[in-house]
Amino acid sequence: MDTATILAGISDAFTLWNLMFIVLGVTVGQIIGAIPGLNILMALAIAIPLTYSLDTLAAIAFLISVNKGGTVGGAVPAILINTPGTPESAATTFDGYPMAQKGQPMKAMKYSLYYSVFGDTWSDIVLITVSAPLALVALKMGPIEILALMVLAFSVITGLVGESMVKGLIAAALGFLVASVGIDPGQGTPRFTFGYLTLYDGLPLTALAVGMLAVCEIFQRLAQQVRGMPAAAAAPTRSADIADRTVTFKELLANKWVAFRAALIGTLIGAIPGLGSATAGFLSYSITKQSAKDPEAFGTGDPRGIAASEAANSAVVGANLIPMLTLGIPGNIAAALLVSALMIHGVQPGPLLFEQQGQLIYGLFGAMLIANLANLGVGQVGMRFWAFVVSAPNTVIYPAALLLCVTGVYISAGGVMGLVVMVGAAILGYVMRLLGLSIIAFIVAFVLAGQLESALLKTMLITGGDYMQILHHPIAMALLVLSVISIIVLGRRRPTLGRKPGAAAAA
Amino acid sequence: MYVPIKRLALAAALLGTTCAAGTAWGADCPEGFPNKPIDFLVGFGAGGGTDAIARSIAAAIEAQQGWTIVVDNRPGAGGGVMAASLKNADADGYTVGIAGTDTVAIVPYTSPDAQFTWDDFAYLGSGMQINYGLVTRSDSPFSTLEEFIDYAKEKGRATVSVGGTNQEVLVKQLGEHFGVTLVAVPGKGAAAALQEALGGHVDATTQGSQHVQQIQSGDMKQLASLIDKRVDYAPDSKTLAESGLDPSVAMQAFTILMVPKGVDEAIMTCLAGAVDEAVGSDTYGELMRNFDNKAVNLGPDGVTDIVQQSATNYEKVLAAN
Repeated sequence: MDTATILAGISDAFTLWNLMFIVLGVTVGQIIGAIPGLNILMALAIAIPLTYSLDTLAAIAFLISVNKGGTVGGAVPAILINTPGTPESAATTFDGYPMAQKGQPMKAMKYSLYYSVFGDTWSDIVLITVSAPLALVALKMGPIEILALMVLAFSVITGLVGESMVKGLIAAALGFLVASVGIDPGQGTPRFTFGYLTLYDGLPLTALAVGMLAVCEIFQRLAQQVRGMPAAAAAPTRSADIADRTVTFKELLANKWVAFRAALIGTLIGAIPGLGSATAGFLSYSITKQSAKDPEAFGTGDPRGIAASEAANSAVVGANLIPMLTLGIPGNIAAALLVSALMIHGVQPGPLLFEQQGQLIYGLFGAMLIANLANLGVGQVGMRFWAFVVSAPNTVIYPAALLLCVTGVYISAGGVMGLVVMVGAAILGYVMRLLGLSIIAFIVAFVLAGQLESALLKTMLITGGDYMQILHHPIAMALLVLSVISIIVLGRRRPTLGRKPGAAAAA
Repeated sequence: MYVPIKRLALAAALLGTTCAAGTAWGADCPEGFPNKPIDFLVGFGAGGGTDAIARSIAAAIEAQQGWTIVVDNRPGAGGGVMAASLKNADADGYTVGIAGTDTVAIVPYTSPDAQFTWDDFAYLGSGMQINYGLVTRSDSPFSTLEEFIDYAKEKGRATVSVGGTNQEVLVKQLGEHFGVTLVAVPGKGAAAALQEALGGHVDATTQGSQHVQQIQSGDMKQLASLIDKRVDYAPDSKTLAESGLDPSVAMQAFTILMVPKGVDEAIMTCLAGAVDEAVGSDTYGELMRNFDNKAVNLGPDGVTDIVQQSATNYEKVLAAN
């Protein structure tokens, strides 16, 4: 690739027309991301037909901006009303909401915005500079390595289970059970579908997450309101102390290693096709919590928790394009939607893309970097608006949020089945909270179970059941050793947590 | 997926086109049809290949006939969710389904809850044939199907990542024919299967579209064409029939358009005519070039034959499993 093409490409991104679509895309993404139940995929699916009449660069820039805006927007309700706007921001609720309840909602949103943009920019730079070698490394992650990675994920995530290991394991087992609904990937036999063809592809994650986290929370709040209990409330938005509303550069730098590690985790997870940003957020949060000197501080409004979740889930966006642009393999559904948008505009993604469309690709890179700045700008304005929105009385906020949840789930899950799942999940979530079962352990198990099962199945088919084959897979061995170490370390830590009631209650 | 914004836009567009709606000039249509928008139910999610084909055909029909078409995605169960609701739709020609031949030829025999068979629908035509190929990394020690089989015999077994039931069945049939263990590794679709082959985690993969670019870039080579003829992008790789397999093993997967059975004869002719004209349009041809493929319309009788044949085959093969 010669420098002239690179510069021509990047300067293409700087036309007023393209800038306009980038800002518009980021704004649309942030708004849709901030509405619980409406997720980024929805936003993209709606936006793609709108881009038919645009030129290729403007269309792609608009779509990638929607995607980037969505990851920022999803954190807003996670922080303000303990309801993740998109599934991938679920891990942001752990520390974002407690911080908001301490009277620092603006501060939490700023932390979230800055770390999110940092993670995003970091992964964009990795994409632009070293995508080709990284894609080759990611290709080495076959089913056996993914299986080992899933084992590691489950062993570090046990740190999220709450105050009782047994209850945490029960919650995770429930997650596994619910994840098994649908066609079994090996034999193709329907499991727990009860004669409904709509259940063949499994329960929709959006409906489940919105039901468990958002709808359940809303019901609890309304119940408190009716009983006249002092509502725990949407966090106060105004604090007299300026330090509660701003984040200094020094405060940001204090967590630089946490944010850096989170961005690294997000980039790696993103570069491996099929894992997704929810996985990245949870994995990064658990690793950060486990490796901290004071894990009990997490869940009480610790900025490190926000950094770990947001930098990781945003870093997935850029990195997801690595397999797509270099190999023609979309890293996740959002990237697959971008592929289809490219094809509609006459561009075939694949190994020849850089050669044939170099200028367009560098234009896209330019647009991605501009979109990060736009995210920062729009986010700064947006958070004041959202803070204003949640300062409305609870009797207005919660019914409105419920309406949005119902609409969003109906649209994204494609019909009434999604609503049934949402209400069922809300009831299950309520019961689980009463029993002290960790909802997060449940959702994490639900998200990862399918990948674990598929990787296990493929591993058995590829190795023909010969366990010694693992000796030929050093990456998988390293990951398994790490899992054993993390279980030993966690096992030792557990009693300390038990003696400090309330420390892990937020999970 | 129900998209209100799109409906509003279309409703607005409808106001402008009502006058033209009754006076279609291309297709041979009965008086007064259509007098309202036609629903296109797509059996797969927004953004996939089938979705792109559906939207392109819909746009071409709108331009050519002046009708209004609403595209509605009903993903799930390999198009089965759409087929189930299409079967229950009014057979008045205002609801058209778009899916793959597999939706009606395989799904009824793999999904006990699918309350439909291929015979519940009437077919309007097709948009494209999927050019399935058996491909491998270019540095693999084998370059033809025969060499691959020898390699598998020597090693004792070989693995092939697949993107769907139809390919899983085919890999099994190949193994049985040559008397060698070929293990089909199923996953979440074509992209995952491609990734596993490119990473060298499996010996080969079956692909329907993304392999063309990989072959052109020199990263992969085709061992065999899995359809009934050789393909332009890999003219040297033989068909399965040329390698001595029964011709019925070749894959006949098309993107097809269908309506519930019982639609009036004249309306069927009208819709089939409109589909044929759209598939022949320049804009649709452009989309096919981006897919490294070409427009193929087998017409109502051609599609019905293929669907019936495949369904009979798969019913037999899958029942034996």
